[in-house]
Amino acid sequence: MTKRLVFLPLVLLAAALLGPAQQDIWILIDGGRPAYAFALPAFVAADEASRAAAEEAHRIFEADIQYTRIFQLLPKTYYSYIRALDPKAIRFKEWESIQASLLFVGVLAESAGGDVTFEGRLLDVKSERQIVGKRYQAKKSDLRYMIHRMADEIMKAYGEKPVFTSKIAFVSNRDGNDEIYFMDYDGARQERFTFNAVRDYMPAFAPGGQRLAYTSYRGLVPGLYIDDIYENKRTTVAARGTSYAPSFSADGKKLAFSSSMDGNAEIYVAEIETNPTRVGRIRRLTYNPAVDTAPAWSPNGREIVFTSDRGGTAQIYVMDAEGANSRRISFGANHHDSPAWSPNGDKIVYVARVDNVFDLYLYHVQSNQVRKLTESNARNESPAWSPDGRHVVFTSNMKGSLQIFAIDADGQNLRQLTTAGENKLPDWSQ
Amino acid sequence: MRRALIVAMICVLAVAFTVSCKPKTKPTPPPPPQAKEQPKVEKVVEPPPVKKAEPTEEELFMSKSLEVLNKEKPLAMIYFDYDKYFIRDDAKPVLESNSSWLKRWTSTKILIEGHCDERGTEEYNLALGEKRAKSTSDYLLSLGIPAERIRTLSYGKSQPLDMGHDEAAWAKNRRAQFLIIEK
Repeated sequence: MTKRLVFLPLVLLAAALLGPAQQDIWILIDGGRPAYAFALPAFVAADEASRAAAEEAHRIFEADIQYTRIFQLLPKTYYSYIRALDPKAIRFKEWESIQASLLFVGVLAESAGGDVTFEGRLLDVKSERQIVGKRYQAKKSDLRYMIHRMADEIMKAYGEKPVFTSKIAFVSNRDGNDEIYFMDYDGARQERFTFNAVRDYMPAFAPGGQRLAYTSYRGLVPGLYIDDIYENKRTTVAARGTSYAPSFSADGKKLAFSSSMDGNAEIYVAEIETNPTRVGRIRRLTYNPAVDTAPAWSPNGREIVFTSDRGGTAQIYVMDAEGANSRRISFGANHHDSPAWSPNGDKIVYVARVDNVFDLYLYHVQSNQVRKLTESNARNESPAWSPDGRHVVFTSNMKGSLQIFAIDADGQNLRQLTTAGENKLPDWSQ
Repeated sequence: MRRALIVAMICVLAVAFTVSCKPKTKPTPPPPPQAKEQPKVEKVVEPPPVKKAEPTEEELFMSKSLEVLNKEKPLAMIYFDYDKYFIRDDAKPVLESNSSWLKRWTSTKILIEGHCDERGTEEYNLALGEKRAKSTSDYLLSLGIPAERIRTLSYGKSQPLDMGHDEAAWAKNRRAQFLIIEK
C-alpha cells in the first residue's frame, strides 16, 4: 500500500515532464463536463381528454432533453420515492432529496376544437426559482413543433444554440431522381422541397434557415441557385460550368462555392444581399490547375477551409477569406475531403479515406490534434454540424444503402435518421 | 466378228420377211385436218418488281429518335485510371472511332458525362468527373470536332454502372460516356 502511494506521484511527475514534449497526448476536456440532473415527471393533463396529447408531448420533450448532452435525465424510478407532482404546490425539498437539480413541469390542455395549450416551466430545485416559463397555443398537428420550441427555449437559457426547431436538408432519390428534402433533427417530419425532373444536389442553408443554396442540373448545366424557402423565389448564383458545394458565411452575406465557370474547379465567393435576395460581386479565390473544392467558412468569417489536390492527393487546406496564406492541415491519409468548421470554431470535421474505409475525423484547430469520430468499416461522408456544435450529421452506407445518420461530437449516440430510398449530403440549419 | 455378221444377216432376213409379208390393202385416207381454233398463246411477262428505294444511310439515321440512336451506342465509352483524368492509350482508338462517327454525322451534338468510382468523396468526385469529361472533350477537339458540338457534365460518383465494391467494378465506373443530344 505504501509502495503504491509513493509510486503514483512519481508517475504523475513523469507524465508532467513528458507532457509538453509528446504531441500525441491529448485529453478530452469537453466530455468531462457534468450534466445537470433533470427531473421530468409526466406532464399534467388538464382533463382526461388531454391525456393522450400530454403523453405524446412528454415523449417528444424527453427525447429532446436527452439529446442536449447538457442535461442528464433523472432515472424514472426515483420519482416513486416521493409524492406525485402537484403543479400548484411544488415540494422542492422532496425533489432535492432525489438529487434533482432541475425540475420541469408541463401542463397540457386540449380543447374540443383541436387546439392544444401548453405551459412549461423549468425550475431550479435548490433556489426554488423559475428559470424558463412559456405558454404556447397551437393546432394539435403542430404539437411536435410546439414542444421543440419549448425545448429550444431551455437551450437558449443555458447559452446553447437552438437545435430542436432546426432543419436538416438532404438529397434523396425516394421519389425517383435526386431531390431536396427537409427533416427535423431527429428524422421526423420529412418533407420534399424540390419538384422537378432534374437532379438537385448539395444543399446548404443560409443562417436562419430561410434560404437554401443548392446545385440543380437545369438544362444540363449544374448551376448554383438560392431559394427563398418560404417565398417560392429563386435566385441564380452561377449557371456556367459546374457550380456546387455552397457554404454561407455566419453573417449570411457571403456564399463560398466551387465552380468551373473559368474552366477549372476553383473556389469563389459571391456577395449575397438579403431582402430581397440578390447576388452581388463574385470573386475568385484560388488560381491553380488543381481541383479546389468543398469550401466552408470559419464561424468568424476570416478563414475558409477547403479541399485541394494541388499536392497530388486530395487534402484539406485553410486559407484567408481573401484567398491568401493557404496551409495544409490534413496528413496521414491520401484522400481527405468535405471539411466543416464547428459553430464555435474549435474543431473541423472532415472525411479521410484509409484502406477504402471512409471515416469522419475531428481536427482540433488550437492543438492540431486529430481524433477519429466514426468507426464503422463503411463509407461515412458529407459531415455537417448541428447549430450547438454537439452533433454531426453525415451520410453512411454502414447499414447497406446510403442513409443519413447523426452522432454526438464525442462519438456517442449514433442514430439513423432516414430509411426511404437513398439519402445523402445533409446540411443542418444554423 | 462372226457374231456380228450373223446378227446382221438375221436383221436383213427379218426386214425382207416383214416387207414381203405386208398385206396389200389400200390405205385409208387421213381425216381432213380440223380447223385449229385455239387462242394464240400470248407470252406473259411479269413486270419487274417495283424497285424499292433503298433508304440511304442518312435517311435511316434521320428516322431514328435520339432515344433509339443512343440505345445503339454508336459512341463507345472510355475508362480512366484511379484518381486520374488523362486519356489512356487504350482510350485513344475509341475516341478516334467516335470522332469519325461525329465527322460522318456532322449535325449531331453530344454530351460527355464524366463519372467516378465510389472511392472519392462527393465534392471531390464532382470535380474529378468534370476533369474527365473535359479531357475527353479536349481530345475530340484535337481530332477536329468543333467545340460547339460538345458539352460536358459531371455526375461525380452518383451514377455507377457497376454496383460492386471491388476493383473490377470501380474500373468500369471511372468513365466518360457519350450522349447524343441533338442531330
